[in-house]
Amino acid sequence: MSTTSRIADRAAAFPAIEREDVSLLLVLPGLFLFAAFMFFPMLYLLGISFTNARPSNLFAGGGFLTFGEATFVGLQNYAAVLSDGKFWNSLGTTWLFVATSLVLKIGLGLGVALVVTNQRVRGARFLRSLLIVPMGLPAIFTITIWRGIFSSAQFGLANQLLNWLGAGTVAWLNERWAAFFAYNVTEMWLAYPFMVIITVSALQDVPKELHEAAMVDGAGYFARFLHVTLPSVKRPVLFASILTAAASFQQFLIPYAFNEGGPARLNELIIVYGYREAFQFSQYGQGAAIMLVAVAFIGAFMWLNVKKGRLADGVDEA
Amino acid sequence: MSLVSLVAEKIADDVRNVVNTPRELAVEARYAVGAYRRGELSALQLGRTAGATAFAVLVVALLLFPIYWIAMSAISGTGGSVYAAGGFSFFPENPSVQPFVWVLGDLIVPPLAISLNVPFTELALVFNTPEIAFLDASDHGVDNPSNFKQYFVNSVIVSVPTLILAMCVIVPAAYALSRREFIMRRKVLFGYVLFTQVGGGLGIASLIALYAMFVQVGLNNNRLALAAYYAATAVPFNTWLLKTYMDGIPVSYEEAALVDGAPPWRVVTEIILPLSAAGLATVTIFTFLTGWMEFVVAQTMLSADKFTLPVGLFALIDEYSIPWARFSAFALTFASPVMLVYLFAQRYIEGGLSFSGMEG
Repeated sequence: MSTTSRIADRAAAFPAIEREDVSLLLVLPGLFLFAAFMFFPMLYLLGISFTNARPSNLFAGGGFLTFGEATFVGLQNYAAVLSDGKFWNSLGTTWLFVATSLVLKIGLGLGVALVVTNQRVRGARFLRSLLIVPMGLPAIFTITIWRGIFSSAQFGLANQLLNWLGAGTVAWLNERWAAFFAYNVTEMWLAYPFMVIITVSALQDVPKELHEAAMVDGAGYFARFLHVTLPSVKRPVLFASILTAAASFQQFLIPYAFNEGGPARLNELIIVYGYREAFQFSQYGQGAAIMLVAVAFIGAFMWLNVKKGRLADGVDEA
Repeated sequence: MSLVSLVAEKIADDVRNVVNTPRELAVEARYAVGAYRRGELSALQLGRTAGATAFAVLVVALLLFPIYWIAMSAISGTGGSVYAAGGFSFFPENPSVQPFVWVLGDLIVPPLAISLNVPFTELALVFNTPEIAFLDASDHGVDNPSNFKQYFVNSVIVSVPTLILAMCVIVPAAYALSRREFIMRRKVLFGYVLFTQVGGGLGIASLIALYAMFVQVGLNNNRLALAAYYAATAVPFNTWLLKTYMDGIPVSYEEAALVDGAPPWRVVTEIILPLSAAGLATVTIFTFLTGWMEFVVAQTMLSADKFTLPVGLFALIDEYSIPWARFSAFALTFASPVMLVYLFAQRYIEGGLSFSGMEG
């Protein structure tokens, strides 16, 4: 028996290094790059959250991945954060934002999808391709434009609309609930192409026979909507809702670009709160603790997505 | 090159569609009116169709109105600053390209003197190239153009290395995930899809630590380090996308090549890569756009002279002296090429996949 074949036998007897597993080497560079910039900072963030890090002490002394002259303070940051009214306000506002924007997104998505899949509408395909145009716009573009729309001055589009309706002007970004409303409208507009795509494809999968059978039975438009359309699109819309709710929860750009979560820090969604705490008030330790609380919620969304979403289907088909 | 002709074909298709749809609608409408005249169609049915179509058009128009508004603002000559009063009208009163000239500034190739020494003599040929002025801003009354060109260069410096680095790790991984069976394969796929679908905010959440790490090694305010970060964030979605694309290539092609005695690397270079050209183009576009469109991390890391286009755009909105028309023109010049390229690439994403990754 030659040496090479003996080695091959030995390798075959070793399940961990099967020949095929060598292919893992092709995936590892990407995985390593991703981990280096995503998981590694996450671990370091965990470390920072247990120290009293500020720019002045964290960067003193130098050294990579050390904590400089910052000292270990245990769970003090978490205690400080959890006993801070601003944190609970931020968390409450975030969940309220998730709820209101989700309702608006589903409503608009379903409404628009119903309109453009109506059989009587001519050129529906063309209209649908126009509808998803905003998807290609960079988020920062869309958000700065909407900030212009909600400009407090008379020139802002929203105020011009109010003027035209005979109402006075509103200082959109200087009042808490007006700003919150503006966030919601913008989030709705950002997400509607996604919702429309999902809902339209779900609506197109509803068998025509069902509608025809219901019509024969004398069901009107709304009865058919309630008993035929809604049950058939429920599941895809639920999947989409999980994803879009997670996106709402993690929304950073809208509050940040509109008025930095103002006025008076009242509208800071959780990620904005952590970001400002760290970068504008130099509380790296507390900022890290806030971010980790947010990450725990994102983890919950991930779990929900694995349990209820279509994620597993996607990988299984593959 | 076949890819270029493929792209050209698709664009021609789109243009034909855009032109033909209204024409076809007109033909259909004429036919329907004819049918009504002949009594084959009741007035009620005709009216309902027309009403439903008009309503749908109205809905679409309302939803797209902000884009129209910004386009009209950009070409209005009289638009005041964001904080000045000014009326709205559907068409600008004094349309002008001046805001766009302000964005682009001078586009001038300066004159160059090229001298060639003729060998073995003391003669030299001296050429003076003429100054080529594509656009001279002062001709249009713009004295102080925007920093668009500087931001553009910064964006290129960030996005091109992002693209190169990302493609180097994405293509082999996508091939392995599509064609090979190995330990951890499903776990890696699962993790990538999960991150793409729900992990959008994790990057910002860990930004504090990332910033600290960059500062510790002195790489904050470094565009190449930023590019490496963007490449890392582009990995999950684009690997998944390219993998699904490669899944569509029939395995029998590879088997045929293997039967003919081709070594594995030739199967990859001569079958897999050419057949996934469209997928590669899509992934190229998406990885390039990762760096091109990102705002938060760039804003945290870079200082003013290294701002990329999104950061530059955001910096403008806080300058109260910038007229709204100029701001709109800047925003559109940044966004419209992105939008066209993105929508083009997006068509290659199959229905199922658009579910898993396209949420903003």
